[in-house]
Amino acid sequence: MFKNMFKPLFKSKKFIIGLSIVLFFILLGIFGPMIYRVDPTEMTWDMEQAPSSTHPLGTDTYGRDILAQLLYGIRSSLYVGFLAALISLVIGTIVGTFSAVRRGITDDLLMSFTNIVLTTPSILIAILIASYLDVRSIEMIAVILGLFQWPWFARAIRAQLMSVLSREYVYLSKMAGYGDFRLIVEDLIPTIATYAFMSFVLFINGGIMGEASLSLIGLGPTEGISLGTILQWSVMMDAIRRGLWWWFVPPGIAIVAVTASLLIISTAMDEVFNPILREE
Amino acid sequence: MISKQMLKFIGRRLIFLLITYIVATTIVFILPRVIPGNPLNQILSRLSQVAQANPEQIRAAEKTLMEQFAFDKPWYVQYFDFLGNALKGDLGTSVSYYPRKVLDLVIPVLPWTLLLLLPATIVAWFLGNSLGALAAYRRNSWIDKGVLTTSLIVSQIPYYWLGMIFIFFFGVKLGILPVGGAYSQGSFPNWSWSFVLDVLKHYILPFASIVVSAMGGWAIGMRLMVIYELGNDYVRFSEALGMNDKRIYKYVFRNSLLPQITGLALSLGGALGGALITEIIFNYPGTGFLLFRALTSLDYPLIQGIFVILIASIYLANFIVDFIYAVIDPRIRLGQEE
Repeated sequence: MFKNMFKPLFKSKKFIIGLSIVLFFILLGIFGPMIYRVDPTEMTWDMEQAPSSTHPLGTDTYGRDILAQLLYGIRSSLYVGFLAALISLVIGTIVGTFSAVRRGITDDLLMSFTNIVLTTPSILIAILIASYLDVRSIEMIAVILGLFQWPWFARAIRAQLMSVLSREYVYLSKMAGYGDFRLIVEDLIPTIATYAFMSFVLFINGGIMGEASLSLIGLGPTEGISLGTILQWSVMMDAIRRGLWWWFVPPGIAIVAVTASLLIISTAMDEVFNPILREE
Repeated sequence: MISKQMLKFIGRRLIFLLITYIVATTIVFILPRVIPGNPLNQILSRLSQVAQANPEQIRAAEKTLMEQFAFDKPWYVQYFDFLGNALKGDLGTSVSYYPRKVLDLVIPVLPWTLLLLLPATIVAWFLGNSLGALAAYRRNSWIDKGVLTTSLIVSQIPYYWLGMIFIFFFGVKLGILPVGGAYSQGSFPNWSWSFVLDVLKHYILPFASIVVSAMGGWAIGMRLMVIYELGNDYVRFSEALGMNDKRIYKYVFRNSLLPQITGLALSLGGALGGALITEIIFNYPGTGFLLFRALTSLDYPLIQGIFVILIASIYLANFIVDFIYAVIDPRIRLGQEE
């Protein structure tokens, strides 16, 4: 069933391009540091050097290799994005499903709560929470970001489930004596699966962008290297005004390449699965 | 013109936003109290690390923090004091700028942020929506493909990173625009022509970086809205009646714009976050810059105060957008919202 479902995706040029770029960066994050074996924290006397054969992307103020930092940065930024997305997806699914299935007062309360979180800028809350934490691991950053980006997803899941629950085939399944579990697995999950996947992809973007934002304001992970922390160091050392482009351009390109590709994947899926958008 | 239904709608939104504001301030209240250990000591020990050379400042900070956090009182007394003060607009005293009041520090920087964020967001909204609608009308043409592909990429560029690129290219490489600040160093804010011109010159880059990177998202959203709208029965009916395309597009555009107005309200928070960091990159003397200074000096009353004011501004903006929505959309005006 799933094989046939995903087949049309691979006819979409957008999907293939997006997926290839994302896979490339995932591989770069996983295997990059193993192949390019340079310690990203090692300080050398080659300070603020432009790209050369010894340092393909140059060095920073402390003589640390930028390419090595970038590879580790891609790894942890993807990790933050993935973890934050997972958290948001789980919370959003639980809240949305409960709302749709329980209805009544549970629905009212959960939706009021969702609307409150939706109206409150998540990046501001993240800044506030992070400011109270002395030590911030990469996982903590992911949790802080993941806790606040689920509301629109919960609302969409609720709306979709409500419309599915009132359709005839669900009544038929109920009449046939399907239990709740079988109903959820066979009737509900397939309808929300593609939407959930598309949202998951956008949540990853939220995580990657959120990490970079927190880092630039000085509240990024206190251990490890991420794309955000590389940007932050470059800003702290005034790399922009001193023209050290190799320091702040690559991490930004990495962020845009990954997040734009994920967005393209999500858009391509929408075009394939949504009959109104399907290209004739 | 303002009907009973509209008043009811506005009243409901107002109550919702008030509750949301209370929840947000409650979060501000709870956070330092749920973090393990004695938060006050922790804050003070971290403060002494930051401001090593100045014991006087630490004592002043200690006094302020003791007064403001008042951990010796029962929690509900603390809570209602805090909530009452927050609603009154009393946000306490800054630690790093002791003895200045938090509110007096935030008020002068707030206009800079608004001056940057509001025009940039509105311009991006108009440009993005127009581009998106254009792409949808010419569906599958090269204009559509170009707009969509560019928007997909551009919408993912963080404001601040585009700002960095702009500073580097226009400020450092070409040297035609200032590399930072809101006005030239050494000049003081006044209403002379030369100063206004100077401000405008410093305004171009941060403004442009927000407009360009915010535009893409609106274009993508609007393109989808218009495509959906064009599939509606009224469009086919109008076509069948022989109505000219221009007129149909006008109706379609107006209908598709409605959800984008709600989107505008919801996007303001993220846009504000981006603008705060853009300010830091540009050394722009707005709220983001003040927040950054407060964070580096661990000035918790100031951090909390900025948070409360920014959240309140976002809610206020939300309310204004809701109001505009109610004025434009007759379904809400006539009370058929659900």
